[in-house]
This record gives sequence, structure tokens and C-alpha cells, in this order.
Amino acid sequence: MRSIAQNTPGKVVLLMGNEAIARGALEAGVKVCAGYPGNPSSEIIGSLAEVANELGLHVEWSINEKVALEIAAGASFSGLRSLCAMKQNGLNVASDFLLNLNLTGCKAGLVIVVADDPAGISSSNEEDSRLFAKIGDLPLLEPAHFQEAKEMAREGFSISEALGLPVLIRSVTRVSHARGNVTLGELPHSNPKPAFDLAQPRLAFPPLPNHKVLHEKFKKARTMFETSSFNVYRGPEKPEVTIITSGSGYLYSCEAVFNLNAKERVGILKMGTTWPLPEEFLLKHLRRSDQFLFIEEVDPFLENNVKEVFAQHCMELGVKRFFGKANQMIPDVGELTPEIVTSALQALLAIPYTPGPEAYNRTASEALAEVVPPRALSFCAGCPHRATYWAIKTALALDGREGIVLGDIGCYSLGVGASGFFQMKTLHAMGSGVGLACGLGQLDRFGLDQPVIALCGDSTFYHAAMPALANATYNSANFLLLLLDNSATAMTGFQPHPGTGTTATGSPAPILDLQTLCQSLGAKVEVVDPFDIEGTIAAILKMVRMVKGVKALIFKRECALVSGRRQKKNYQVEIDPERCLGDSCGCNRLCTRVFKCPGLRWDPKKKKAQIDEAICNGCGVCVEICPASAIRREAQ
Amino acid sequence: MSRGLKGLVEKVLSQGLCTSCGACLSLCPYLRSWQGRVVKVHDCSLEDGRCFAYCPRTEFNFDGIEKKGVHQPYQHAEIGSFRRVLMARAKDSTWRERAQSGGTVSALIDFAIRKKVIDAAILTLRDGDSSPKGQIVMDREDILNHAGSSYVSGPTLEALHRGPWEGEEKIGVVGLPCQVQAVSKMRASTLEKKTPIDKIRLMIGLFCTWALEDEPFRDFLKKRIGNWPALKLEITPPPERLLKIHTTGGLYIVPVDEIRPFIRKGCEVCSDMTAELADISAGTVEGIDGWNTVIVRSDQGEKLFKEAEAEGIIESQPLPMEHLNHLKEASLFKKERAVKNFRNIE
Repeated sequence: MRSIAQNTPGKVVLLMGNEAIARGALEAGVKVCAGYPGNPSSEIIGSLAEVANELGLHVEWSINEKVALEIAAGASFSGLRSLCAMKQNGLNVASDFLLNLNLTGCKAGLVIVVADDPAGISSSNEEDSRLFAKIGDLPLLEPAHFQEAKEMAREGFSISEALGLPVLIRSVTRVSHARGNVTLGELPHSNPKPAFDLAQPRLAFPPLPNHKVLHEKFKKARTMFETSSFNVYRGPEKPEVTIITSGSGYLYSCEAVFNLNAKERVGILKMGTTWPLPEEFLLKHLRRSDQFLFIEEVDPFLENNVKEVFAQHCMELGVKRFFGKANQMIPDVGELTPEIVTSALQALLAIPYTPGPEAYNRTASEALAEVVPPRALSFCAGCPHRATYWAIKTALALDGREGIVLGDIGCYSLGVGASGFFQMKTLHAMGSGVGLACGLGQLDRFGLDQPVIALCGDSTFYHAAMPALANATYNSANFLLLLLDNSATAMTGFQPHPGTGTTATGSPAPILDLQTLCQSLGAKVEVVDPFDIEGTIAAILKMVRMVKGVKALIFKRECALVSGRRQKKNYQVEIDPERCLGDSCGCNRLCTRVFKCPGLRWDPKKKKAQIDEAICNGCGVCVEICPASAIRREAQ
Repeated sequence: MSRGLKGLVEKVLSQGLCTSCGACLSLCPYLRSWQGRVVKVHDCSLEDGRCFAYCPRTEFNFDGIEKKGVHQPYQHAEIGSFRRVLMARAKDSTWRERAQSGGTVSALIDFAIRKKVIDAAILTLRDGDSSPKGQIVMDREDILNHAGSSYVSGPTLEALHRGPWEGEEKIGVVGLPCQVQAVSKMRASTLEKKTPIDKIRLMIGLFCTWALEDEPFRDFLKKRIGNWPALKLEITPPPERLLKIHTTGGLYIVPVDEIRPFIRKGCEVCSDMTAELADISAGTVEGIDGWNTVIVRSDQGEKLFKEAEAEGIIESQPLPMEHLNHLKEASLFKKERAVKNFRNIE
């Protein structure tokens, strides 16, 4: 049995932060869970989906985050506790509904977990989703570690019910994706019968009285948080410096204080309820010190909000100094590290500190370089996207009119770099390439003579591109949509979607066929297999040269990692060392220098190309690339 | 300066000087052609490349090339070195009907193959709907299908590199002056030869004032004649200067001035009207229908032509002096135009 579904109260288990959140929801008796995959949030719904059948829950991957939140709200309105999970960009998508939902409130506990990706390691942007709590007057919790992630998720449902408002939980990568010990609580056995009370309609309109009610709830939340056990102070009675921190910043702060051996001089105020801030609680701690250092990831949210409280009470509090992102003591972009916090604190306390002996650090980084060679971001071996971009590059070069490829976020975003031959020229939100194409696709009347090409993945198409395609047909935009159908939400871990024929819990589902969808949205549609490189080049050329209208070319080929799990290689691929002419070929190492599949390697001793059998996924595409016909494939 | 693909892009492709002769194609995967255009698909970092060495629009030295290109010293004269200039035509009227003017070139190629002077010829295939391209041709029926001019240049020489070859075939090439220049450069190049350049035994050059860009000209034709397949194109000499388009749906006539916008920029710097490095060059005779002006230049050219006459394949007459003078004038005019235009580019 999966550890998140064990009913063994008191047992300590190793859980990923996201699993701890899922467990907390289970301990709160959640019944309905919905979300859209996105790093670093995906394992919340993923792990709940795995235990859904066993525990009798409804768990789904929804088409996008707005729909997911509406699903969760529907359950809450009907008396079932519900959870919705997403990444920071997802909350942008869901925000329209969220900022109406705050006005109607909810009934059974509704927890919205948003996992932010500081530094945008696997995102198109770096964004602090906590601002939405402020916009929407919604209670916000920030777990600092694994146990707290579970506790907050569980407690979030009670808070939500007490206030009649959805509760936001904001996690970050290093809380969601790290693992730690979690003591389990009890799993409840309640089976409430859902019912929608018609006497209590959920109407955002008229907004004014609802807004008033929201502000009353907000005040109540502030009062409630004054005594929350998630807000903790640890340190001397009168510290020289108080660190005010939340989320991942808490453990980094502890480590910094430990590194500097400064626990007699520094206090740490860990805030778990970061919106609304409990004012009285905060004032008590503001009186302790004259210097404060803010440690939090992405925006100075806590920093600014605490300063706001201070400004309101400055006559009483007297002169205080605040350090953080505002005065550049803490970097205002990117992830935090214990080193960043340590060096900021060291500067404030004037304590000399060397992070480990220099010789050790040098040896360590040298040793690491041998084990982990520097590598560029790259498509996997056998990835259909590499073949797709090869065809796009060739076709657009032959076409010769500087076609503009408008993309978005997904595995295929590597099209911005060497692995996708630098073909993608715009990258924003999911589906934005298609929307941008609707705009650029109108500019021919003003003299734009470059072909307009939108590009998106299959999951993205369902998520956000369908309205744009309908718009294109309605408003007569001219462009070609390249729809990369690898039959998976690959970037986030191969989650199923409406085109895959299965649901989050593994039940069969009707397939929403992309070709039919595009046709019914008004596009001329053709389907190609990107592994047929020459056929794909010809199809792109043909469609990009059709003069008017909306065209869609579907690149159908399953993600190499998905097919690799199910079946063995399509081909055994070999390089004939007699036929590979190496540097005397004149191909100038096309396969390893330009095509760059990780399954191909240059043997510096023999000065010839080789197949790396451990990595090659047997797609066989490189056979078509080699001008000397030195690469051979044998069907398996 | 790069003498590889980078240099080719810098000096030729990006300047619009490419004539689409095909000499650089099918040598590597970095260059491809489409709709009559040569396109760089990927960047190549090699400092020396056959693409650059074979291109008729990179540096070119007629004197340096004579030993390998033609069998007598190159003469800096109006129409290059030659043994004799005359009027000729194929005796068999089949050639004359299908081919341009007197059908001499088609008949000579057929004769050369039958006489085993060559085993195969590289000719240019044109059909109404697709771009011209090089084809390896080995029999009479195929030669007939490739006869006639399209006034469009296409990557004929790609066929030399692409093959398929069995290995020992002796090869003949029929091409425009730029293509004959490219073959001469290939023969003279010191870079390792990976394609059967050394198997070329015969070069027949076609007179050329300019060639047209394939794609815009094809779009133009489609607009003017609709969907009729064009069977034969001919341009009548001055003062008439008309493009006659014979189609299955009838004859269409267009003033040449209307197609001038489609002339390749690369042709404006060309100084060779009569394919001066060929074994035999041929073109029309202005004002005399059904005959070719033929310039016999090399020993092989002379031998082949004499045999063809002796066996009754070709008949010939002396070219009237005024026609020869006019040919020289036109050729000189092209050289002057090239020098002037080349200065503008520099």
C-alpha cells in the first residue's frame, strides 16, 4: 500500500513534500481533487490519483486549472471537502474564477495548493503566486517543512470551513520536491452525502455586498491567525537581528544561524499564516529587535506586508531597520540557498565566515566535473520533437521567407536552443503561440511577408489553444499550426490528457481526437509522422505555402519515454565504421555536431561517430540524416 | 576568408548571385535546393569546401583552368577559343521538332552514347509543373523528353554528384555556360574528388543571355496560360523579342520585357554567353529558323562533330559572316554588362 494511504497514526514515513500535502488532505477527509500537471506541483494530484480507487475519491487531471478549481468549488458547494493543485502559472489561469469564488465563498473545506517554481527551473516564468491572496482577500498558508506541509493541508480544510473561504497553500520547489520524515495522523471514515442547498445560491453578483462580506471574513481570518501554531518565534528575548521568514526560507535561516553559531544574537520568526498577517502577534515581535532580515522566495511579499504593519504603528515602535530584497541584501530573483542567507546575516552581525575550506571546495567541484560533465539542455534520445524541429528547420529554410515559429511552454520549448535548432521565436504562457499567431496572422494586410507558424503540444492544445484556434477561424487569421502530438503531458511526467484514452485514475476515457477537433474548429488538417523526415518537410512546405486560412499539421508520434516503457526499441541502430568517413566525410560531423541526438557520440580516438547503445532509443531517424549512409537500422 | 560554406553564403548566396547550377548540391547535407533555389539549411564550419571551390560565382581564372577544362589555351576573345563556327542541324526531323532550333545538341548526345564516347549524359528535365532538375539519361527516348529550353536554370549538376552511378560510366554533360564553368572548376580543383568528375568525357554548352528564376516565372506562366502544360518555349530574336509558349491549349505570346523581372541577379554578372569552356557550344541562328549556331572548340568536340557529319546525323553549312559578327557583338555586350554590374556589386 502506498504510504500516503496507510491508516497507521503515529508512524513516521519518508514523504515528498507534495505527498505530505496529499496525505494532509486525506487526513482531512478530502473527497474531490482536481488539478492540471505542472512542476513542481504534479505529485500532489499524481499521488492522490494512485490511491483514489482504494479510498473512494474522485481525483482527476482536468483540462486546465480554471476548470480544476471550478470542479473543486462545485464539490465544496455541495458539502464535500475538495482540493485543487497547480503551479504558479496555473493560478493565473484559474484566477478569473478564483476572484469570483472569493465573493461567493464556499461551504465544505476547499484548499488550493499552488507550488511556485523560484528561478523558473521548469517554468516559462518566475512568479510569486502569494500576491493572489492579497488581491482576493484570501487566507494564505506557507509550509516550511514536510511535517508542516501535511499539517497545513489538513488544517487548511478546517480554516476554510470556519471562514467560508477557499484557503491558499503556497509551496515552493524545495518544499514540494524534497523528502523528509512525516508523522502520520489518522485517516477519517466519513461519507458525507453531497447536496447543493438551493436556498444558498453562490452568486458573485451583486458584487458590493459580497465584497463587504468578504472583508468581514478577512478580519475574522486575521483574528484567527493571531493564535495560529504555524507562526513560531525561536531565539533570545532581545535579539540583535530578527529574521522574519516563511516557507523554504525557514530552514535556510536555521542553517545560517547554525553556521555562524549566532543563536544567542539572532531570533527567527517563522510565519506560517502569511496573509492576512496577524497584527498583534507581529507587533509583539517587532518590539523585540531594531533590525530585521526578511528571508522568503521570489517576491518581497512578507517584507512589504510587515513594513505596512510597521508603518501603521511606527510612532509606538520607533526606529527600525529592515533588510531584505528592497535594499539588495537578498537577491530579488532566483532561488535562495543557505549560503545566501548566511552571507547576508554574516554582513549584519560582522561575523567572519568561510563556507568550508577553499581547497576542499575546489577538489569537490573538480571531482564533480568528472562525474557530471557539462551538458546542454537537450531532447531525450529518440524524442520525436528533435525530428520535428529538424523538419521545421529544413522546411522553413527551403521556403526562404523567414517563417516565424510562435511557441509556448512544454518539452518542445527546447526549440529555443540548440536541441531544437533555435527554431522557436516566442515563448510565453500555454497556448500563447496560437494566440500570437492570430495576431501576426492578420498582419499581411500591413505588409508582413513572413509566414506565421504557431506551435504547441497536445496537452497544451486542450488546455489553452482551442479558443485561439476558434478565434483564428472566426476572424480569418492566416497561419499554420504545428501540433506536436506525443500522446502525453510529457514535461510534467507523462500524465494522461483528453487525447490519451485514460483518466488520472487509470479508467478508460473517450479520446478527443485532435484531427477532428482542429477540423471542427475550422482548420485544414493533415497528419504526419515526424520520423518520416522528408515527408514531414514536404508537408510543412505544402501547408506553409497555402495562401489563406488556418491550417493545422499534426505531428503524431508517441513520446520516446512513454513508448520505451511499454515496448522495446523500434530499431537496433548501428554505425558501420567502414562507411562512416569521420572528418574526411565533408559532413562536418552532422550527426553529433548538428543533429545532436544524445544517442550518437563522437569517438575521439577512432574519429568516427558511434551509437551509444545505453542511451539510443532506437527511433532510427539518424539513418535518414547521415549522408554517407553509414548508419543502419534493423527492425526489432 | 572562409573557402567553405560560410564563404559561399557570404559571397554568393546572400548576394543573390547563385545561378542554381547545382554544382554544390548532393555533396553534403548542408545545402539543398527547392523551387530552383539553393538553400543553406545548417551552418557548416569547415574552412575549405567543394561547395565553394566548384561554384561558378566564386573566384574564377580562365587561364588557370585551360589545361583541365579545354584542350587549347584559352583565348580572351569575344567568344573564347574555337576551331570553327558553323550552322548545323539534325538530319532526323524528330530532333528538330522536339528540340530547340536545329536539334543539333540532342542528336549529338544520342550519337555520342551510341558511339560509346559516353555511356550516360546529364541533361536538364523540365516539365511544366516542377522545377528543372538534373537527370541521368542513357537512351534516345529519354533524350527526346529532355530536349528543348525552359529559359529557367535549375540544379542540373546535382545529378553528377547524386548519381546513382555504377562506377565506370563515361559521362557527358549538357549545360548552360555557368554549368560548364562549374564543371571546369571541378576538374581543376585540388580538393579530393568524391564524385565522378574525372569520368566526364564531353561537355556541350548552350548559349545563354540570361536565365529566369524558376518559381516567380512559373507563377507568371500559370497566370498567363492557366493550367495548360507548356510543351515548348522559344524566344524570338530582336527586333521581335517575343516569348512563344506552345501549350496543349494553343500558342501564347508574351513580350520578353514582361519576363525580364524574373531574370536571375546572378546572370547579370555572367561574362560567358557561349559556354567558352565546353567541347562544343550551340545556340540559335538569329533570323534562320531550324538551324543552330555551333562552335566547335576542343579536339574531342571536333572528332565527335566530324563523325556525326560523316555518318549523316548532322548536316552543316558555313555561318554567314554577318551572323558571326553579330554573335561576337552579343557576346562582347554580355561581357561588358557583366563587368559593369560586377563593379556595382563590389
